[in-house]
Amino acid sequence: MKRLFFLSVLIIMGFLSAAVGSSQDWASLKEASRNIQSVKAEFLQKRYLQILTKPLLSEGRFFFYASGFLRWEYLSPLRSVMLQKGDTIRPYHFSEGVWKPEMTQAVESRRMVLAEISQWFQGRFDESKAFTHLYSPGPPARVILTPKEGINRFIQRIEIVLSARPGVIDRVEIEEPGGSRTSIEFRNVEINSSLPSEIFEKP
Amino acid sequence: MICRKGLDICILGFLILSIGCIGCVPMAEIALSPGAPDDLPGCYAIFPAGHWESVHRIEAIIRGGVSSSLLGVTKGEPSERRLHSLLLTPEGFILFDAELQEDRIAIRKAVAPFDSPAFARGLMEDVTLLFLPPQVRPTTWRKETGGTRICRWEGPGGSRTEVRGSMDHGWRIQHRDDQGEVTREVSLKGPFVQGLASHMELRAFKPASYRLRMTLLQVAP
Repeated sequence: MKRLFFLSVLIIMGFLSAAVGSSQDWASLKEASRNIQSVKAEFLQKRYLQILTKPLLSEGRFFFYASGFLRWEYLSPLRSVMLQKGDTIRPYHFSEGVWKPEMTQAVESRRMVLAEISQWFQGRFDESKAFTHLYSPGPPARVILTPKEGINRFIQRIEIVLSARPGVIDRVEIEEPGGSRTSIEFRNVEINSSLPSEIFEKP
Repeated sequence: MICRKGLDICILGFLILSIGCIGCVPMAEIALSPGAPDDLPGCYAIFPAGHWESVHRIEAIIRGGVSSSLLGVTKGEPSERRLHSLLLTPEGFILFDAELQEDRIAIRKAVAPFDSPAFARGLMEDVTLLFLPPQVRPTTWRKETGGTRICRWEGPGGSRTEVRGSMDHGWRIQHRDDQGEVTREVSLKGPFVQGLASHMELRAFKPASYRLRMTLLQVAP
């Protein structure tokens, strides 16, 4: 009985020290993210579907500006772009040599995901309406997002792996119910570089 | 002079309309009789055999020229007449996920506007037309001297499916309803990769009119 009590105290102490340590790291992460005004990066997306033996690979790039602008662009295998300005999302696809407005589909899902991505790049994980977060100091440091009621029908868990470089995300892993998942690896990340405004206006 | 100019405009207009309609008119049916037994296996050349999985880039064009780009993922088990199809946005959101075995459709996921039973039935009919041969044996078939094959299947209730073409010049699949009207026509172009055409275009005429341009991106056995 004494042994069990001692073990319980050790576990509780362990949790407390982890909580204190992570709150300090969490604060420095928030501080680093507060200084981010713009992000530019390339990404490799791997979509693992249960019916496919090999993942579906997509490559693209994105541009983010802190006042609510995001350009999320796929270069292959389908050339397409989503332009976000505040709450407005304009999707386009490239066909026969020109950009064409995309027929509206899954707009709400897309809006929600883009809003989440915008928050991640500003370190505002705790402002999500759709997910609760848990910070793990690592290394590598990670933020685990657990969906709230409703969203959990589509997303089971999101893991954001942070870079040693403050404010930079290395990888995002999205798990869905049923075993499908998506991995997005970011590379050539540029923080606070100058971005022309037309990037967010024209496809 | 004015009359001549008017005639020129008329001819030009007729030419533009004619050029614009190339490919709009479905192929006419030609008379056929049962062919040589040795030519029969060739009727199945365009349908993948054995288990396979594929990823296609799909451009869907509906009435009024509105278009959408999607990814189509399909897994086929022809021996069991089983097809599993997914439609995804370029970002990878699953919009539609359904499985067909024999004539039963099981919808696993469907997001608006892809959530109606009519859409699911239509999509699985399209996928079946593209990847599975009709269940019955062709009623008539022929191999022409140039290597072109024509094979025709008669389905229940008077519907007909015809496959016509060659590996060198591409293939066409045509489906007619019991009234003899063309409901869908598919053109397939090579090269064929593990039994799947690199480029396909499906045109649906009835009950809804739309066009699907499909490019093969990924294939695995």
